[in-house]
Amino acid sequence: MTAAGSTILLLIGTVLLRLTVSGTYRRYVRVGMGPWLAVAGVTVVVLGIVTLIYVLRRPDAPADHPVHAAPEDVDEIDDRVHPDRIMIGWLLLAPIAALLLVAPPTLGSFGVSRSAAVNVHAGGAVFDPLPHGTGPVPMTLLEYGQRSFDRHGSSLAGATVELTGFISRLDNGGFQLARYQIACCAADAVPAIVIVEGVAGHPPRRDAWVKVTGAYVRGTGALPRFSATSVLEIPVPNEPYE
Amino acid sequence: MAQPVGDGLTASDAGIDDPLRDRGDGERHADRGVAVVLLVVALAALARPVLEHLFDRPAIAQWATIFVAIAVQAMPFLVLGVSVSAAIAAFVPAGFLPRMLPSSPVLAVPVAAAAGAALPGCECGSVPIAGRLIARGAPPAAALAFLLSAPAINPVVLVSTAVAFPGKPEVVGARLLASLLAAIVVGLLWSRFGRDHLLDPGRRRMHEHEGPHLRVFMLTAQHDLLSAGGFLIIGAGTAATLQTVVPRSVLDSVAGTDLVAVLALGLLAVLMAICSEADAFVAASLTQFSLTARLTFMVVGPMVDVKLIALQAGTFGRSFAVRFAPMTLLVAIVSSVAVGWWLL
Repeated sequence: MTAAGSTILLLIGTVLLRLTVSGTYRRYVRVGMGPWLAVAGVTVVVLGIVTLIYVLRRPDAPADHPVHAAPEDVDEIDDRVHPDRIMIGWLLLAPIAALLLVAPPTLGSFGVSRSAAVNVHAGGAVFDPLPHGTGPVPMTLLEYGQRSFDRHGSSLAGATVELTGFISRLDNGGFQLARYQIACCAADAVPAIVIVEGVAGHPPRRDAWVKVTGAYVRGTGALPRFSATSVLEIPVPNEPYE
Repeated sequence: MAQPVGDGLTASDAGIDDPLRDRGDGERHADRGVAVVLLVVALAALARPVLEHLFDRPAIAQWATIFVAIAVQAMPFLVLGVSVSAAIAAFVPAGFLPRMLPSSPVLAVPVAAAAGAALPGCECGSVPIAGRLIARGAPPAAALAFLLSAPAINPVVLVSTAVAFPGKPEVVGARLLASLLAAIVVGLLWSRFGRDHLLDPGRRRMHEHEGPHLRVFMLTAQHDLLSAGGFLIIGAGTAATLQTVVPRSVLDSVAGTDLVAVLALGLLAVLMAICSEADAFVAASLTQFSLTARLTFMVVGPMVDVKLIALQAGTFGRSFAVRFAPMTLLVAIVSSVAVGWWLL
């Protein structure tokens, strides 16, 4: 499948480059991978083009063709018996097809309740207090969680905080706000969860991305709590994971 | 051109994979292959509304995201591994590698395992390299030790482990030691009890192209990337399925008991198939487990997981993989428990 193989490589390389240029790759891997994906994409495209040229170029001399001594040719028979090794490259078309047409979305609420939440008690970092009166301080859910369990949230006292995430569960008078932490790719995603309360009116639907502004409230459970003064629905951010 | 190279492999081994073979009815054959690729893409385009509809279901969307994520994340590492493998095929003369390594396996295996520290990257890259080393005449036991150690003990992985376990350098040391130990033990076991003929299908798969260096490099890289990539897709699909179907909260029920916890995290590492550069962060988040259990997770993951088993079956042959993976799993768990008991 050399000609077809080269075509598949061209497709892979193109899809990798498209993912990188469009920024869609951020749904799947961490942002720092971008340059490496671009390098891999260019390499695979070059490989596809060069091998395609090799195939399409007319043979120079038929004498190049290896002589087939029938008894020794077990390997070829082996290949016929195991067609999988020739066909296996076709499987690469599956993710390519998915990515070319409808790129799978960022991870949503489905996995939040099914995986262990990130542990915000670990490490035991000690935080400096936040500045007062300078407007809302944007913060990751992870940092908020860690701060709220550091000396009962004393570093958050009196500050207005802005959190961004998606709604993983609707509760009475509030919701759970979640955002995934990824180390490498979406396969290792672990959610950070904050319980948001004091939401006036009707909260947006599950899986909606929101920006909430508010302040720390002390809770007793394992999850950090947050009292919202405003909830703003936003599109999926450029960097969906923390 | 028609001279056999290395261990008697010629371009004829390539079957329909090699353009040299395609010449008789080559043009027609090539056209057909390209036509099939285009047909698949066209069919997928027609199926687009169905796909969009499917992604409305959260479980399917999550499966697709994890599947694509593993494939995308592995590509740069696979490209690196395939390039190194192709460079060995194209530029390292046959017979050079066996001369480089000590002839006694008792020495060659530890040397090869330690050499794994020099290859930055994760496990997807080391499989084609190990396959190429064997095809080029390196002792299989040594190549296998390299295969197991490279993704576990390279500097990138050790640094990410140190970052994931701040203030606990003993975890990094334990990971290095347990991984190296497991790789060496598996290598020595293979040299003592392993049957090298099990690797023959793999040797045949790793066929050697002929011609100018650049041509050999390109054709080898193309062949390796397609076959390793295909098996990677099988592994990514399996891992995505397991992650979507099995809720991780099942784990919490076994976190308490020591040995069960170790086995559970060993099994989890096999099922999750996380890149070795990321597994330390996942291990760090599994705080309900003992450090030894989490060490097991980090030692097993780079050596045995569903994605790797698929890749190894594709590179070395199925009958090899079904023996090698369980043996490695067992050795890795025992080694982690021993080192964990001593250091952690």
